[in-house]
Amino acid sequence: MEDTRIIDLYWQRSDRAIAETDRKYGRYCHRVAFNCCANHEDAEECVSDTWLQAWNRMPDARPRVLPAYLAAITRGLAINRYRAQRRRKRGGGELPLALEELSDCIPSDADPARAVERKELARAVAAFVAALSEEERRVFVARYWYFAPVEEIARRMDFSASKTKSMLHRMRGRLRDKLTEEGLC
Amino acid sequence: MLNTYELLDAMTGIEAETVWETGELLGYAQPRPRGTAARRFGRTALIAAVIAALMGLTALAVGMSIHQRRQQELRRDLAIDRSAVGSYTEYPVPAEETAPVEGVTLLSTINDGDFQKIFMNVSPVTEEELKLFPGGLSFTWGIDGSERGGFAAPALPSDLSVSGDEIYPAVRQYSYDPDTRTLTIVAHADSAFLAEAMGGKDSVPLCISMWEGDRLLRSFGPVDFTPTEAEKRVFDFGGLRYFDAELDKEIELVALELTPISAVWRVRYEGDAEFHRERNQEKLNEWGRMEDRVCEAVIRFADGSEFCTGGAMTVPYENGTVNLHCAWGRAIDINAVTDITLGDLTLWEAGA
Repeated sequence: MEDTRIIDLYWQRSDRAIAETDRKYGRYCHRVAFNCCANHEDAEECVSDTWLQAWNRMPDARPRVLPAYLAAITRGLAINRYRAQRRRKRGGGELPLALEELSDCIPSDADPARAVERKELARAVAAFVAALSEEERRVFVARYWYFAPVEEIARRMDFSASKTKSMLHRMRGRLRDKLTEEGLC
Repeated sequence: MLNTYELLDAMTGIEAETVWETGELLGYAQPRPRGTAARRFGRTALIAAVIAALMGLTALAVGMSIHQRRQQELRRDLAIDRSAVGSYTEYPVPAEETAPVEGVTLLSTINDGDFQKIFMNVSPVTEEELKLFPGGLSFTWGIDGSERGGFAAPALPSDLSVSGDEIYPAVRQYSYDPDTRTLTIVAHADSAFLAEAMGGKDSVPLCISMWEGDRLLRSFGPVDFTPTEAEKRVFDFGGLRYFDAELDKEIELVALELTPISAVWRVRYEGDAEFHRERNQEKLNEWGRMEDRVCEAVIRFADGSEFCTGGAMTVPYENGTVNLHCAWGRAIDINAVTDITLGDLTLWEAGA
């Protein structure tokens, strides 16, 4: 079924919307969640919660790209779940590694008193990603949006793992410079 | 201080297309199955046709009550007469243009097997209230005295597809009568639920509620609703098998159950029960493309016209078959089917 028809089902408050979304994007969202949680059961719960949130949000929202909209919900839920698990000394998956890597982007002398506007930060990150070459963009989004393992990205992009790591390292440096330059950290 | 979680949150600003395309590159998302877009008319042309049809109807409808006008529009829009639909019932309504319209007035209903599609007028709905739709205004239906029911929505022309900011103007134009402050709505009521609620009686007391967010603005009804019988035709394919070279898959076609506004394709394929029981998403997506292919089968009619049921809305595994449930807005004449083909394979032919 086309995405526009699925969205129509949400707007018509038809419970078929969820069945159809699950059928078409269940696997996709499961994978997004699994990369964070490293646990099929947790990932499945994130996916179920995603359908519920989509159901609650949809009459107000009309997503332009339905799978990306759903995946963004899943990703947010999975990150929250990870944080809760981490507080309970659990967790795993690729997220801890990605988090550790991203800490490179935050200068050590960042002013603790500076309030960072989330919107500004999102805009800056979006602009940074948009300015990357297509190859770089794919690698960056695969790693820091999807939390895909480096080896998997390398395989998909037909790069060596070391080249992928090196690309990520360079991009993190450039992002740090950009955020510093814009006074966002 | 900026922390890594804030940075992760900021990634949500990345363009949706980039996110989706990268997901595809990683192999997380199956390529979108071939849709049914090619079978659809151009949207602009379609809207123009609907507007033209409704303008013609409005001209003819002067002097009728809003209920009669809506009944005529629905008959035309749903192609009830052209398709000789037997599962459509119109209810008696006041004829005078000045007839009081407050409350809920049943207009008509059509049965698609699984659901009763119930068309009603509700009044009063003020223009200020209607302006809240769709974000802040919603409608629910229910059986009086029970807590069960579902959502209802303004009834729009069946082939009109609107989104976002187009919704309110379309509802204002097609579903609302400002003179009588009457809104035409449609509810989908599960046939099995209605049968249970009737408990051996002929009708159920139907109520409509109008909500602003979680706040009840108004209740309409109850009104006695009597469901209409389903009209169904079953085409038995005797287990014909269809092989799709592009997908390199073979599927067994068991039967097609056709109503004027819905269909159920019953099919089987290797591993179907297991995939559905285990919710094996990878396999189900893989076979989803083949299921879409089945729904592209061409149904021909005695007048030479053709029809496709379009992609399935739900695909439950029941009674030993995978059941592809399809639905559409404008009725077809199920008694005028001459043949059904899928690619080069003839599934059914009249008189054969």
